[in-house]
Amino acid sequence: MSVINVKSELTGKTYQFDSEKHAGTGAVKEVYFSPDRSYVVQKFIKTQDSRSLERLKLIVGKYRESIFNQAGGDYWETVFCWPTDIVTIPSTGQVALIAPTYGKEFFFQYGSQNNDMLGIKGRDKEGKWFASAHHQQRFIDKRERGEWRNYLGMCIKMSRAVKRLHAAGLAHSDLSYRNVLVDPLSGSAAVIDIDGLVVPQKFPPDVVGTPGFIAPEVLKTLSLPITDKGRFLPCIETDRHALAVLIYMYVLYRHPLQGGKIHDPEPGRDEELHMGERALFIEHPTDKSNRPVVGNLRPTDLPYADIRKMPSCIAGPYLNELFHKSFVDGLHQPHLRPSANDWETALVKTVDLIQPCSNSDCAQKWYVFDNSTKPACPFCGTKYKGLLPVLNLYFRRKQSDPFRPENHRLMVYTDQYLYPWHVHRHIAPNERLTPDQKKPVGYFVLHNGQWWFVNQLLTTLKDVTNKKVIPPGGKVELVDGLQLLLSSEDTGRLVQVQMVKGA
Amino acid sequence: MRRLPVYLVLDASGSMSGEPIQAVNNGVQMLVSALRQDPQALETAYLSVITFDSSAHELVPLTDLPSFQAPNVTASGVTAMGEALELVANCARRDVIKASGTQKADWRPMVFIMTDGMPTDDFEKGLARFKQEKWGAIVACAVNDADTDILKKIAPESVVALDTADSAAMSAFFKWVTASIGLSSKSVQNGKELEGLDQLPPPPPEIQVVV
Repeated sequence: MSVINVKSELTGKTYQFDSEKHAGTGAVKEVYFSPDRSYVVQKFIKTQDSRSLERLKLIVGKYRESIFNQAGGDYWETVFCWPTDIVTIPSTGQVALIAPTYGKEFFFQYGSQNNDMLGIKGRDKEGKWFASAHHQQRFIDKRERGEWRNYLGMCIKMSRAVKRLHAAGLAHSDLSYRNVLVDPLSGSAAVIDIDGLVVPQKFPPDVVGTPGFIAPEVLKTLSLPITDKGRFLPCIETDRHALAVLIYMYVLYRHPLQGGKIHDPEPGRDEELHMGERALFIEHPTDKSNRPVVGNLRPTDLPYADIRKMPSCIAGPYLNELFHKSFVDGLHQPHLRPSANDWETALVKTVDLIQPCSNSDCAQKWYVFDNSTKPACPFCGTKYKGLLPVLNLYFRRKQSDPFRPENHRLMVYTDQYLYPWHVHRHIAPNERLTPDQKKPVGYFVLHNGQWWFVNQLLTTLKDVTNKKVIPPGGKVELVDGLQLLLSSEDTGRLVQVQMVKGA
Repeated sequence: MRRLPVYLVLDASGSMSGEPIQAVNNGVQMLVSALRQDPQALETAYLSVITFDSSAHELVPLTDLPSFQAPNVTASGVTAMGEALELVANCARRDVIKASGTQKADWRPMVFIMTDGMPTDDFEKGLARFKQEKWGAIVACAVNDADTDILKKIAPESVVALDTADSAAMSAFFKWVTASIGLSSKSVQNGKELEGLDQLPPPPPEIQVVV
């Protein structure tokens, strides 16, 4: 053990790190654990100029405070690993950041298959392990893989973190599965490596990004001088591209642009064109030239990498629409890319569409129920059996207005809950929910072949079809065509029940 | 999936015997373990070990990381570096997949050459053959008092030196090789491609850059 003491000139606080407990090295930083592992010291390999230092001071100071020192600021501790202080290493004069150590959930408990053949137990859960079908199926211990529902949860956390940065006018500039830790067991995600933040017009980026996540326009103009007006550098719009790639990879386990098209015999040039100037969605509706070549895929990439078996529509209509906006409309037109907020909203609505798979061996356990075809789990093929109630949500602006459809539905399953954000249209399930708004207001249950909604907390729930009030503690059978007014307030929604028949 | 072929070309002549060759063996072992823990490298990197003593040997042909078994390199004989250069070039020509039909090309192969001596064979002949292949990064590492001028002919922009061949220095070298293979983020450059050592992470203090 070789403990080194360091002191912050900014805050006067002292820190320690163990120069023998090396936690990792990147292109920019070397990371060391504190002796008790409660924080890390991230040493910059290169000397930081005065502008970089000024930026770092703002990141640990003003920017941090603007996000964390507000009502509900604690929430952000869970989705960011944000540096808290700056120190100088006495022996070398190197600048280093102090940052919290990631939560326990972000470290592998079991690691890889066959008694952890790769030796990754205890290491951090870099997103890449979960973003590829090959890694999941060939290497990762089954107990680490988690359920598909949690991958939606991870994406929600990621979108929310990016949304918050963008709302503050900041761009991460190097979003990738290396810089977002994930936990598919709890559905958590944390954005790390915040030190590269880009502030438009103030602090330019240091890195152009990680291969696979660099926006096409950045790659295309890489060889222009930095001062050239035509050169594109990382910014909020390029973050949006990287976020879309991440979400696509976490829900479909393949890369949206890495298809079979070959542009140049020279690998470097080919890759540059493939991800840059000539980037093309592997599922482009009309230009099919970049479809993955199934014969070239590894058996462990399948079936997920085969877009004929797992088209992006299996992620549900809301996400599928955004995938197309990102990788068809917005791929080469950055201003058309969906925002982080768009993603969060679509993901949250998608959570209401999922069903548990009745096959206990299904690797994904959950899937988006698609009632336009014969409902079945797209991952394992198991058909949905029996009757499934689908609640179609309607809203009105004020009491005197008619109800309008909302393009939002809730697929019912046993023990599923109804929440205040389903009842009232002014409540959104995000970081601003109050403790009361997180409480379920009722639940669904299948009893003797009949579906019931059991009201727990709704004080003005009304069965509109039969003109009956259902008080808390009461229940109502869900039948086709039934209309329920969830609340008599202006913000209250009306649901229309649709019974869908499975196999 | 585009593969990244990596060739380790290691001096196993008599002068490396004892601690140095042991440190090389440990270094290769460490390199493989570390790369297996890196999901990006695990997917793309393929590793081969070529050694040279009085002749050159393909000890481990290009192998994916999960199947790779670290060899036990023993040291004896003289320094057939020219033959090693020829062998690695022949291996690369045989192994590296070129683009054809729907098959994507492999990345340009990386080569790490380590020696503590002077070539005792026809170096120029081997060098000429080596230069015929297209390589990605080439790093030549001089251990103790190897001739760095010779190494510069192999890797003009990227010769490094280890003053000692002890386990600490070797370990630092192999860690740096690991980081070089696993490097991910691209720095913002002012218009030109990085060459030589600039495309790799900065070497640790145990490694001197020979200019």
